[in-house]
Amino acid sequence: MATTVNLTVNGLARTVTVDSLDTPLLWVLRDVLGLTGTKYGCGIEICGACTVIANGQAIKTCDTSVGEVAGGTIMTVEGLANDADGKKAQAAWIAAQVPQCGYCQSGFLMATVAAMKAGHHGSSIAGELSNVCLCGTYPRIAKAISTL
Amino acid sequence: MAEASDLTTTRRGFIAGGAATVAASALVVPLVMQSSANLAGSNAVADAGLVPAPGSPLGAYLKIDSNNLVTVITGSTEMGQGIMSGMAQLAAAELNLDWTKVRGEHSVTTAANVASFGNPLFGAQVTGGSTSMRGWYRPMRQAAAQARALLLTAASQLYGGTWTLASGGRVEQNGVFHTFAELVAKAATLPMPAAQPLLDSGGLVGKALPRLDIPAKVNGSAIFGIDVVLPGMVYATTVHCPTLGGTVKTMPTQASGAKLINLTTAVAVVASNTYAAFSAAKGLALSVVWTLPTNLPLLDTTSLYKAGSALLTSTSVVPQVAETSGDAGAALGSAAKSIDATYTLPMLAHTYLEVINCTVKPTYTAGVLTEIELWVPTQAQGFVLPTVAKLTGLPMTAVKVHTPYIGSGFGRKIEQDYVTEAVQIALAIGGPVKLTWSRPQDFSNDKYRPGAQIRVRLGANTAGLPTALVYRNVSLSINAQRNPSNPEDTGAVAGAVSLPYAIANRQIEFVPNPCALPLGYWRSVGESYNTFAVESAIDEMALLLKQDPLTFRRTLLAGDSRGLGVVNAVATLANWGKPATGNAQGLAFLKGFGSYIAIVAEVGKSGTTLRVKKLSVAIDCGTVVNPDSVASQLEGGLIYGMAATLWQQALFTNGVPVSSNFNKYRVARMSDVPVIATTIVPSTQDPGGVGETGVPCVAPAIANAWARLTGIRQRSLPFFPGSTMSDG
Repeated sequence: MATTVNLTVNGLARTVTVDSLDTPLLWVLRDVLGLTGTKYGCGIEICGACTVIANGQAIKTCDTSVGEVAGGTIMTVEGLANDADGKKAQAAWIAAQVPQCGYCQSGFLMATVAAMKAGHHGSSIAGELSNVCLCGTYPRIAKAISTL
Repeated sequence: MAEASDLTTTRRGFIAGGAATVAASALVVPLVMQSSANLAGSNAVADAGLVPAPGSPLGAYLKIDSNNLVTVITGSTEMGQGIMSGMAQLAAAELNLDWTKVRGEHSVTTAANVASFGNPLFGAQVTGGSTSMRGWYRPMRQAAAQARALLLTAASQLYGGTWTLASGGRVEQNGVFHTFAELVAKAATLPMPAAQPLLDSGGLVGKALPRLDIPAKVNGSAIFGIDVVLPGMVYATTVHCPTLGGTVKTMPTQASGAKLINLTTAVAVVASNTYAAFSAAKGLALSVVWTLPTNLPLLDTTSLYKAGSALLTSTSVVPQVAETSGDAGAALGSAAKSIDATYTLPMLAHTYLEVINCTVKPTYTAGVLTEIELWVPTQAQGFVLPTVAKLTGLPMTAVKVHTPYIGSGFGRKIEQDYVTEAVQIALAIGGPVKLTWSRPQDFSNDKYRPGAQIRVRLGANTAGLPTALVYRNVSLSINAQRNPSNPEDTGAVAGAVSLPYAIANRQIEFVPNPCALPLGYWRSVGESYNTFAVESAIDEMALLLKQDPLTFRRTLLAGDSRGLGVVNAVATLANWGKPATGNAQGLAFLKGFGSYIAIVAEVGKSGTTLRVKKLSVAIDCGTVVNPDSVASQLEGGLIYGMAATLWQQALFTNGVPVSSNFNKYRVARMSDVPVIATTIVPSTQDPGGVGETGVPCVAPAIANAWARLTGIRQRSLPFFPGSTMSDG
């Protein structure tokens, strides 16, 4: 049964129509709103490729229903360039030449920016990153966050 | 090129195997080395025809637009290794370009241009075997150099006199400049020049230029296969039999409003979005009645390794003899000291992050299928074309393949199974569709790294020098599975043959262990298991002879200056012999993929368990195009290898995978990663491979360090079977 949900996504008010409030936020972002920077990885909240910031917290969207964040404020990787911390993180990622395949990096960036907003700096951000990168960019992520 | 023989021995099976899979050999030319000049002359600017307008292709590889932005088009898939930027760097070097005005793009592959994008080392458009830079280093530079000549001639014809190349995409004459954009239309009308000298006027070869794809990978704009959206597209997923090899017997006609299609080896679920398809697919496997395979022992890892154990010592089986010199048996018999050790390595999944997907758009004219366009995260566009043509009955000229960025492949995305499924679904529904596998389907329907059991017997004389190597690799054979009429599998012994060590008498054997579990090429292929056996055995022999493992290898490599070079370089880098208190070091070496590499692992204990503290690596990969990309690939290769060494194995019980997601298949996290130090040994030799080269030595280096630390020799991988992500 189709239903509508209001969200603020990257600063824009959006009303989305979904089959069910149980629909994971991941698929609303990707298939309904066309924000494909947020990735599907494991579907069980392990890999972190689907991480966004919802109401100030890093969340894994593959198993967070859109109903849980109805009315909330979401920032995805597409919104980082309009956020002071996001811009810093992006610049650090480029300076350290972090990404290889790049598929996991949206999730790492969102988890990093959430950690920055929670008051973490430099290497203390690392403790907040449980994400998975299969290309093995960890040494460069470490280098990038050491400058934040 | 120095690596021709290396490539031929290690990759012939790879290419032939791939071709056999799609039963189409038209595009797969024999592995014959072609001269760079010929290749560039026939393939490069000439082949695609020059289109006389700014913004249109100057040959297959270069586009120059009206803003003088130069786009370099690559047929090698960018899957994280940086090849799109590397190829652009080669072109930029010959054209003296401003790097900020350079872009990279994948080819849109068609029958008309697929030959232009075939890797010059083996002809097919396939990204694998760490061959892209090896194949393209000269041809891409030559193509750009010929473009340079065309642009200079165009300037001369348009403006008179002689023009020289200037920086920033310009030509110059007495202080007067014109941009390439002003010249491209004229250049496109000129006949192809002869082969040109390679000048690197830009001085860019060897520079750590920033990668072109990174900005798009930090702002969400990079489009991966899974991100492709077409107008009117529907979303599909597939459900395979929980027992590998099973086929559909009976199935429901509908599930939760989704359309179901019988693909024989799977059921396709088609819906209006990905989540709807995934939801409808959940539990579907239980309501489908499957015809189960009957060869269960061949689908069961316990049974397979039991059969393999018997083959290891069998005197009745006739092995494939991959290499023989002297009389290894006799030399072993008369050895003063010897070891006889068996090493076992598990099957492995590929563990990339972007799940299998493929988007297909069929075009119908008057109700008849006339064209197929695909967006495929693929390492093998050259196989996609014939796969689709065969499946649809269309000529290859009616097929067009787009390559988005791919969320890594590690060898899995050479395969054509998912392309086949996506095309079948598109034809069944008669319209555009994106197929996306769920992670459990992806994990459970991989093409796994073969498991291997390897018996190594080494003998040494009274002077402490090895004299005999008798080696038997019993493993699940990719080639035997794909090409049963010709089961010779030279790839299975890659890393065990042509060792640069001074051992006079050798017998290297391979015995295929029959297996029905789906096998495939995993990052570093045969070397990923043989190097563990070889380098562990060498270390065991050094310890038996009471020799330092570094000194021992120096002796064995005395005749190989590049081998010695990396061993010495890593010893310096790692401060060999002086580990931190409580730690121990282990060394391993490989000549492979056209490169030389040595790794020192420093391990310690965390509680009672092993903890990898530091990995140091030295590589000689010949001429380096981008040292930062080399370092990045080494870092990634070490971590990939470390995760496999410590935690990973793909097990199957009567055809049912034990692990179907990362929760039961541990991969490295940030907190697992040791200190990593890399160094590149300078070389002017031809470029060697890097993407896979960092992986094989990790396991033996760690095992050798652990043996020194504890006296316990780990001959079976992984170190910690049964690891899960919650162990992290």
